[in-house]
Amino acid sequence: MTWGVGFFYYRCPRCGRKFKYAEDLMIYFEDSFGHCPDCGVPGIYVKDGPRGKDDNEYYEVEE
Amino acid sequence: MDKALKNKRIITAAVTGAWPKKENNPNVPMTPSEIADDVYACWKAGAAIAHIHMRDDEGNGTMDHNKFAETVKLLNERYPDCDIIVNMTTSGDIYATDETRVLHVKELKPEMASFDCGSMNWLNFGLFLNSPKFLEMCAQVFKDTNTKPEIECFDPGMIGNAAYYIKKGVLEAPLHFQFCMGCANGITGSVKDLLFMKETADRLIGKDNYTWSAFGVGHSAMEVMYAAIALGGNIRVGMEDNVMYSKGVLAESNAQFVLRAKRVIEEFGCEVATPDEARQILGLKK
Repeated sequence: MTWGVGFFYYRCPRCGRKFKYAEDLMIYFEDSFGHCPDCGVPGIYVKDGPRGKDDNEYYEVEE
Repeated sequence: MDKALKNKRIITAAVTGAWPKKENNPNVPMTPSEIADDVYACWKAGAAIAHIHMRDDEGNGTMDHNKFAETVKLLNERYPDCDIIVNMTTSGDIYATDETRVLHVKELKPEMASFDCGSMNWLNFGLFLNSPKFLEMCAQVFKDTNTKPEIECFDPGMIGNAAYYIKKGVLEAPLHFQFCMGCANGITGSVKDLLFMKETADRLIGKDNYTWSAFGVGHSAMEVMYAAIALGGNIRVGMEDNVMYSKGVLAESNAQFVLRAKRVIEEFGCEVATPDEARQILGLKK
């Protein structure tokens, strides 16, 4: 059994954008993991876990 | 292994799993009818093994043996030409009891079923428990039903546990491993990680005492697939592990993943194993 990718879900304190980062990309993003893709500021942690019903509300930051 | 089979690679389709729902990808099969249709489509596309889970009426993972029975019945009734190897999970609901996790194996006697060779945290909010008591009971059920265990290993320690169970007589070589890469709390999913898993199995189990397959969850999917083929392994694909086909693109179907795997295998210079060839490679006795 697997459970897909685990995500960290965030909200930007500056622009309000909702976004998420896959846990397995922590190594790739290093210190910028969890930062807003638009503003570059650290996001406010909302939750973490597998894809939920509201997953589509969060933009996935991949690069 | 028969020389003619050396160049054959087995594709396993893991079509639904216990987690992704229609909200995550509307193409994830959920009902026995949808799962049966999807398994057939994957077989047509080149899959030799279907790894199946079941969902309850709310879409949550369930070990309801009636759902497994209904799916197999539909598959056989609708598609009598389909000779795919059915591989049933024993870990489709983290709240299931030890007994309900194997009831469907006892009743339906599938050719293969999963054997999760150790415990771990389920992401960061639950336990994926596979106690020694459960594993020994599970292995005995598999022996009684002539079901080949697919030894799912999420980290190298689970390979060590498989070696322990061989010594104890609980498992019998040759084993078939599924290296589950890139799952949270398990080993990460890089080429280096996969090579380490294989080398660990070579040391602990012996090169000629096992066959193996691998998959990567999420972003590691492609890296693990290519590496597995290059290292001589077999591969698993499907929406249990990935609802995205590529970056930002939802998978259209499980068959789409199988077709890509088939292309990659053939481009590499290998051939895709038919179900009967897979039976020979894995030493299935049914």
